[in-house]
Amino acid sequence: MRTAVSPMLVRLADERATGVLVRDHGALYLADGQIVHAESPAAPGLDVLLTASGRLRPEHWADAVAQAGARNEVARFLVDSGQVAGGELEICHLGALFDAAFFALAPGSGPTRFRYGVAHWIGAVRPVPAQVVEREARRRGRLLDSLWPYPEMDTAPVERSPHTTELTVSPRQQALLNLADGVRTPAAIARKLGRPAFNTLIEVRRLAAAGLIQIRAEPAEPTEPTAISEIAEPPAMLDSALLRRLRDALEASL
Amino acid sequence: MPGIDECLLEAMLVPGARGAAVVDWISGLALGSVGEPSGSDHEATAAETAELARMATEYGAFAPEEPAVDDDSGKAKGPPVEDLIVTTRTGYHVVRFVETTFDSSVFLHLWLDRELGNLALARLRLSDLAERLVLG
Repeated sequence: MRTAVSPMLVRLADERATGVLVRDHGALYLADGQIVHAESPAAPGLDVLLTASGRLRPEHWADAVAQAGARNEVARFLVDSGQVAGGELEICHLGALFDAAFFALAPGSGPTRFRYGVAHWIGAVRPVPAQVVEREARRRGRLLDSLWPYPEMDTAPVERSPHTTELTVSPRQQALLNLADGVRTPAAIARKLGRPAFNTLIEVRRLAAAGLIQIRAEPAEPTEPTAISEIAEPPAMLDSALLRRLRDALEASL
Repeated sequence: MPGIDECLLEAMLVPGARGAAVVDWISGLALGSVGEPSGSDHEATAAETAELARMATEYGAFAPEEPAVDDDSGKAKGPPVEDLIVTTRTGYHVVRFVETTFDSSVFLHLWLDRELGNLALARLRLSDLAERLVLG
């Protein structure tokens, strides 16, 4: 069995701790050792997921936070006031929780801190055992790798591939491709569409594997081409085996 | 119906039910699961079912010819693919796509015993459950 992504999280779950675990790329909120909420700058929050689609108006979200935030019951307020159905809120919140947790649990070099007693204002929705969240984060890493092993796609501006193909895409994929303008990163596209960031990474890697999307090609150098620039490989051509070895070495050293 | 757990427990009341789950078909995440998994565990079952569901939503062969939005009322007509049915030697699988008002990719999966289950009944019950899960 592989070692835990975060040994500290395992320990906190064992001691049924309540508080917030802050890591390099995000934060996990625990209540009695279970994960009740997660946040990451890389993942759209519940507010974005609910408002981007027009499901909830931004002012209604702000009102819910203002009215129930102080008593940590924003989720309950949204359901009790009839603005979002209980099932919908659970689907949306769980999606956001696992999404942010994937980024929060990504290997990082910075310190991990835990602040006891801190609760998030969203309140109780549907707690998830810490080991389930951790196992899912590992599965997600493997899934991305198996689809198209180029992690640099996750954070780079992406654009539609210039080559036309006979492939048809679904309306969901088309909506994503329409936003791939060579400026937006997959995370920016996710935010715009109101979809979880990980789901967008998955779709981007699948579309890349199908030859429909690529990292933005660097504009052609205006200076006369030299032998060196012809030899230099663009980032997309990086050897995937080398990337895997690098990542494994990084993970092993943690 | 208040949430995922209640929805899954109701799904298990369908005659012949052996296992049920709510799954995201893009990430393969099981948002909730009850009963027996039809695969090696709930996690693997969710990931594999998600793959089947994803293909059904993406391939043009299964896309309805009519537009997704009603011309007169301007309202969405429901998910393009409503459900998937897989019949095996010993069981039935019914996958029902859940339609939410925000951008999501979730379905209900119900696994039934072939001897005890009634496919037509299970399909109707699951479609009703999928609707109530998001209506509250």
